[in-house]
Amino acid sequence: MKKLVLFTVLGSMLLTGCQRNNSSSTDQPTIALVLKTLNNPFFIDMQKGAEDASKKLGVKLLVQAAEREVDVEKQMQIIENLIQTKVAALCITPSGSKEIVPAIVKANKVGIPVLIVDTRVNQPALDAAGGKISGFIGSDNLEGGRVAGQFIVKALQGKGKVAVLEGIPGHETGDSRLKGFREIMANNPGIEIVSSQTANWERDQGYTVFQNVLQAHPEIQALFACSDLMALGAVEAISAAGKTGKIIVVGFDAFSEARDAVMKGTMAATIAQSSYDMGRTAVENALHVLRGEKIQEDISLGVQLITKENAKPVSAQ
Amino acid sequence: MKTRYLLQVYGRQFGTLFGLIALSIVLWILTPHFMTVSNLLNVAQQTAIVAIIAAGMTFVIITAGIDLSVGSVLAFSGVVMATLLLGGLPLGLALLSGVGTGLFCGLINGLLISVGRLPPFIATLGMMSVARGAALVFTEGRPVSGFSDSFRQIAVGEVLRIPAPVVIMLAVYLIAHFVLTRTKLGRYTYAIGGNEEAAILSGVNVRLYRTLVYGLCGGLSGLAAIILTARLNSAQPIAGIMYELDAIAAVVIGGTSLIGGEGTVFGTLIGALIMGVLRNGLTLLGVSSFVQQIVIGSVIIVAVLFDMAWKTNRK
Repeated sequence: MKKLVLFTVLGSMLLTGCQRNNSSSTDQPTIALVLKTLNNPFFIDMQKGAEDASKKLGVKLLVQAAEREVDVEKQMQIIENLIQTKVAALCITPSGSKEIVPAIVKANKVGIPVLIVDTRVNQPALDAAGGKISGFIGSDNLEGGRVAGQFIVKALQGKGKVAVLEGIPGHETGDSRLKGFREIMANNPGIEIVSSQTANWERDQGYTVFQNVLQAHPEIQALFACSDLMALGAVEAISAAGKTGKIIVVGFDAFSEARDAVMKGTMAATIAQSSYDMGRTAVENALHVLRGEKIQEDISLGVQLITKENAKPVSAQ
Repeated sequence: MKTRYLLQVYGRQFGTLFGLIALSIVLWILTPHFMTVSNLLNVAQQTAIVAIIAAGMTFVIITAGIDLSVGSVLAFSGVVMATLLLGGLPLGLALLSGVGTGLFCGLINGLLISVGRLPPFIATLGMMSVARGAALVFTEGRPVSGFSDSFRQIAVGEVLRIPAPVVIMLAVYLIAHFVLTRTKLGRYTYAIGGNEEAAILSGVNVRLYRTLVYGLCGGLSGLAAIILTARLNSAQPIAGIMYELDAIAAVVIGGTSLIGGEGTVFGTLIGALIMGVLRNGLTLLGVSSFVQQIVIGSVIIVAVLFDMAWKTNRK
C-alpha cells in the first residue's frame, strides 16, 4: 500500500513534470502571468492574448491562477512560489487591490519587475509599504460605468427605476464602474437606484440575488450588472419571472456569450473591454521593461458600448 | 519490545512522513528551485495558517466531530481584531480579541453540539453562515486594512531567520501535542471519540470537554486570522472560504480517522505540509492550476486508502 502511494505521487509528479514547457534554451526570459482565476472566460481570453504575444515575441510564458477569484492568500502563495523560480517579470491581476501589496513588495525585494493588469493596486497602500510597480494595463472602468449609465438614461428617457449588481467591494474594477455609473445617475434625478447589491462576480449569485431583488421591487425597469457573468445570471432570473425583454439589462466585459445575449435581446447592451488585448499588451510591455526600455506607466485600453448593431462576436480572437 | 510499541503507535505517522520525504525528493529531482532554504521557509510559511486551524480540527475530529465553520470564524475574528486595532486598541488586547472572538464562536458550536444535541455537521454548518454574515455586516463587505509595522511583524518578522508564522505554528503544535498526550483534556478527547458511552459511564464530563474542544478549534482559527491579516495587511470578510476543507484534508492525510478515537497532531502537521509542498511544487513546475486540483484531490484519496489498508493490516 505504501508503494501505491509512492507510485501515485511519483507518477503524478512525473506526468506533470513532462507538462513543463521545454525550457532548454535558457536565454529566453520567463514572464509569469498571475490571474485572479481561470473559471471566468474574461481571464481565459486574457491568457490567450498573453500566449499569442509570447509566441510572437519568443518569450516563455507561465500562467497561474488561484482556484477562486476571491482567494488573495492563494494568489500570494503563487506569487511567492514564482519568485522562487526566479521568473524575469511578473504580470498580476490582483484579487485584492490592497491585499496584493505585500506580494509586490516581495517581488521588489528580489528585483523582479511587476506589471499590474486589469485591476488597479491601491496606491496609498502601495506607497505606504514602499512598493513599486513598472506599469498598469487596464481598461478605463470609470468611463465604462459612465457609458453604461448613459445608455440606460437614454433607454429610459431619463425616468425610471434601476437596480445594480455590484462586484466584490474593494475590487478597484467594480468600484470604478459603479462610481462612473452613479455619477451619471446623480446627474439624472428622474432615475432612481432602488437596489444596489453585490453578487460577488458570480453567475449563480447574479441569479439568486436578482431574483430576490425582483421580489422586492417588481417595478424595476433596468439593471446594470458590473460584470456579464452576473448579468447573465440575472437574465435567467428575469426569464424565470416571465419578464424577458421587459427589463433593460446592461452588463460589462462583452465576452462571447454576453454578445450572443445582446444579439438575442435578452441583454440590451454590454461594455466591451478586451481582456485579450490586456494579456497581449501586458506581455509586450513586460518584455520592454526587461530590455530596459521605458514604458508608459498607465496604459488605458478603451471601452466600447456593444448593442444589437455591433454585437457580432469577435471570432478573430 | 519498545521499538515494536513505537512502531504500532507512531507507524502511521512514519508512513505519512515517508510520503512527505518521497514527495520532496521527487521535487528536488524535477526542479532546482525546490530544495533551497528560501523555498522551504516559503512553504512552511504558506502552510502555517491552514496548519494552525488543522491542529484544532484534529481535536474535533478525534472526538468524532467536524467543524465546518473554521474559515468563516477566521474571517469574523480577523475583521473584529482589525477594526479594534485600527480603532486604537493596544496591540496585545487587539490580538486577544481576535483569539477571543474565535474562542467565543467555537464555544457556541460546542454548546450547540453538547447541550443542544445538534449533530456537529449541522451546528457548525450554521455557524459557518452566521460567522460569515457577521463578518460582512461588521465591515459592510469591505476589507479592513492599513496596520502599523509592529503588527505586521507577526507575518514578516523573523526569529533566528525563521519567519514568525512558522515559529507560531511550531509552538502551537508543541503545545497541542502536550495537551493531547499529557493532559486530562487530551485523554478525554480520545475517550469521547473512542467510545462516548464508556466515557460517560466512567464519569467524564463529556459535555464540558466536548465544548472545550470546539472552543479550542475556534480559538486557533482566531489565531490563524491574526497571521492571515498581518500577511495580507488586510482583514477581509470574505477570507478563508473553503479553508475548512484544506484543514480537514490535512487532518485526514495525517492519519486521524473521521470515525474518531485516534489521531495525532504531528500527523496533521505532516499532512498540512504535504498539501503545502504539493501546491508549491506544482507551481514551481509550472503545472496548470486546473491540473493542480486533480493532483491534490488524488493525493487526499490515496492517503486515505492507504490509511484504511494500514488499519486493516494491523487488526
